[in-house]
Amino acid sequence: MTRRARPLAAVALILCGLLLADEVDAKKRPRRKKSGAAKTVRPNFDTRLPLLGTRLVAFPAGPGKPLAERACLACHSGDIVAQQRLTEKQWAAEVTKMAVWGADIPQDKREELVAYLVNNFGPGAPKYEPVLTRPVGR
Amino acid sequence: MKTSGKGSAPPLSLDRRRFLALAGAAALAPGALLARFSEGVPVGRRRMIQRNGYAVDAETPLDALTTYLTPNDLFFVRNHWNPQYTGHRGWALTVDGEVERPLRLSASDLRRMPRTEVTCVLQCAGNGRGLFEPPVPGIQWKYGAVGNARWGGVRVKDILDRAGLKAEARHLHSFGTDKPPVHVPPFHRSIEIEKVLADAIVADEMNGEPLPAPHGGPARLVVPGWAGVHWMKWLDRLSAQPEAQKGFYMETAYRYPKELGAPGVVLPASEMRGVTELFVKSSVTEPPARARAGSPVVLRGFAFSGAPDVVKVEISEDEGQTWRPAELDPQHDPWAWRLWSFRWVPSVPGPHTLWARATDSRGAVQPKDAPWNPSGYLHNGWHAASIEVES
Repeated sequence: MTRRARPLAAVALILCGLLLADEVDAKKRPRRKKSGAAKTVRPNFDTRLPLLGTRLVAFPAGPGKPLAERACLACHSGDIVAQQRLTEKQWAAEVTKMAVWGADIPQDKREELVAYLVNNFGPGAPKYEPVLTRPVGR
Repeated sequence: MKTSGKGSAPPLSLDRRRFLALAGAAALAPGALLARFSEGVPVGRRRMIQRNGYAVDAETPLDALTTYLTPNDLFFVRNHWNPQYTGHRGWALTVDGEVERPLRLSASDLRRMPRTEVTCVLQCAGNGRGLFEPPVPGIQWKYGAVGNARWGGVRVKDILDRAGLKAEARHLHSFGTDKPPVHVPPFHRSIEIEKVLADAIVADEMNGEPLPAPHGGPARLVVPGWAGVHWMKWLDRLSAQPEAQKGFYMETAYRYPKELGAPGVVLPASEMRGVTELFVKSSVTEPPARARAGSPVVLRGFAFSGAPDVVKVEISEDEGQTWRPAELDPQHDPWAWRLWSFRWVPSVPGPHTLWARATDSRGAVQPKDAPWNPSGYLHNGWHAASIEVES
């Protein structure tokens, strides 16, 4: 490398470093006191990720879907349902427990609800993939 | 061999070219490189695995659990139902029951009492439930419903001394401000008084910050070495009582077999006991996905137990026939986790599996398979890392 090229290479490396710093720790970033300058605080996570609790599982189509939505979603998201891989006996026990706890499940619809749950979230259901989200809010 | 501590994060996953580019940039602009990390965790790994959208339940990906202290915003969150955050205004901790002088302590009263700090692991009782076979109902946590934090607050013993604990008190009942929906039973708990007096604190700080609301702020119980179910969030009442608390969350949920049965067999209530101490456990946080025969790679992880310390972490290449010791990071506090690292030089190309197991200060050894139990608590089977070795 020639003498003239060395400073250029150093500048290029510094620019490279600055470009790599596309995410800045918002907490540790020193505050600039430029009057009138817009204060930019870059988040320290990938902003393409959704906020925790904003992307929810939708129940799959089927004859028991409205029943499941009515019974389950008043108190918790569908995520907790969709990640289970339970047998008919286990789902029946869950439905009974939730009915006692106040879930809106008509007595004569329990079998239909259990059938929907076993059909979609039984032992043979495809692997559940949870949503990746931003860090927890403070 | 250097082990990873707070503030360090080795670029194991980087290829050589990117490593050199980063190293060059770091030499000239160290601030720029540091900005790629936040509280010791690379920005690209700062994310959560959502297990429930509402009430929010989320665990930390293993590759973000690489620092001695887990950052607050990457610490797992567990809610039984949608919490109603009270904030500090008007919050008070009531202390009653078998005490000479019932108390009502405001947040500032608590801050004026003698302070203490405890650095220890908080793990959800159900961490690893999603690994049990046959499956059991509940949040299907895998590995990350666990973290290590520095908790600041007041010893429960000091609070009870001020209240004048009576000899009749054998259990400390705990209550939080969160309320269940419809007819769901309330989350009321109790802990044996001996454990409370020896180790428990009322924490209002986490890693030097006011305890964040998602983690139980204004104040929560911290019970070192015991499962998270004992660490009451949004704590607003402690009541000293002769008997243990009753109700669903004491008598039905959070129960573990006194004598283990066969997988899939549900035991009668009389054969179950409450979940208390954590089981000895080690997890691999940074397995290199690829390696080259003859070139060293480093595995990293953490290990903890219900005993105050972990004395050994070992790695096996042959599913437990032989073991070699990993290096334990010297940084440690009672009931905190130990970071560990293991330098491995693969000799044969092809797919390899390495297993990790820990031994605690009481001699308990992590088992190959976690004992199956009906609610899927305290999974601690060996953690395996799969590595593809190229020639």
